[in-house]
Amino acid sequence: MGRINDVGGMQGFPAVWREQDEPPFHADWEAHVFGINSALISRGVYNLDEFRDAVERIPAQEYLAASYYERWLRAITMLLAERGIVTEEDLADG
Amino acid sequence: MSADHTGPAAPVAARVRRLEGMLEERGLLDAELLDRALGEFLARASPANGARVVARAWLDEGFRERLLADANAVLPELGLSMGGGLQEQQLKVVQNTEDSHNVIVCTLCSCYPLALLGPSPTWYKSEAYRSRVVRDPRSVLREFGFELEPGVAISVWDASAETRYMVLPRRPSGTEDLGEPELAALVTRNGLIGVAPV
Amino acid sequence: MAEPFRIGDRVRASRVDPPHHTRLPRYARGAAGTVTALLGSHPLPDRRSRRLAADPEQVYAVAFTAGELFGEGDHTVTIDLWQSYLQPAAAEPSGAAAATGDGQ
Repeated sequence: MGRINDVGGMQGFPAVWREQDEPPFHADWEAHVFGINSALISRGVYNLDEFRDAVERIPAQEYLAASYYERWLRAITMLLAERGIVTEEDLADG
Repeated sequence: MSADHTGPAAPVAARVRRLEGMLEERGLLDAELLDRALGEFLARASPANGARVVARAWLDEGFRERLLADANAVLPELGLSMGGGLQEQQLKVVQNTEDSHNVIVCTLCSCYPLALLGPSPTWYKSEAYRSRVVRDPRSVLREFGFELEPGVAISVWDASAETRYMVLPRRPSGTEDLGEPELAALVTRNGLIGVAPV
Repeated sequence: MAEPFRIGDRVRASRVDPPHHTRLPRYARGAAGTVTALLGSHPLPDRRSRRLAADPEQVYAVAFTAGELFGEGDHTVTIDLWQSYLQPAAAEPSGAAAATGDGQ
């Protein structure tokens, strides 16, 4: 209901900050998250609408604090966990 | 692309590598194909494509009219397309005029003509841009150093469905002697999104 | 669903705040705008995101004035909206329609 991504017209956000000459991806891992998502959607593991829905279901504070591709990674792992393909333990450090 | 293995991003980089490895083990992705597809995407898609489309439209009135009527149909004339991704994106080009200016946003996420222009800038995806440009576009343009004349009407396009939007900026004055490549060099990504005049 | 709209039709966006994914932005709920383009037919994301059967339905570009959306401003915002998000709106709001702010 009135999800955290639905920010059009919402007040309280600051001036738009922008980076000069930013690269398409800021790190390899971002590009790989992009590629993983394309691969999983192409294979039908989930569809694009399910992916957007998962991004929107990230808890609000986590959503706002996360960078763009961190949100993607969170959504992908959420979808994979919900489908029993990987678990959070599988991805835990150490 | 930089590979940050030691900085603050290191844990997330390791997490992504682990995920990719697991998915490959389960036969859900092929790491080599992924790398190749990424490379092809970045080589193919960039703002330079949009700049070429704009320069051609400035020089060729017939092309401009066809572009505004059905952008997907005319891109192949320049060897370009909106395909290559999950599905061919539908492109709509909106032109700036003396009394109207266009700005593009996706308030709900970050929809953008990726297939043609490559990844969008981080600011385009930010809550600050997405929340404010539909409510006060003039102020947002001002933050980009673009003071739009008061008499110019602003149209904001919220790419909430399957169509992806690109702005056709106005040709700057004093460019009558420039050829197509020189004209294309004038066009910036910000101009294609609508936060700059060109 | 309402009958298909044509370019120039006045339409009103749903007021519903759904408990699921949707592509009707909150700031457009209940607002009236004008259809300016037909954008093909596509399955409704509200259903696709839940893996429910979803036949393609018409998508429209709908232009709203800033006044209609936010009560102030002189710009317009065009939002691409699925048929299911829209109802007809009276072109000239009558007293009754203005009071309820709603179509049927």
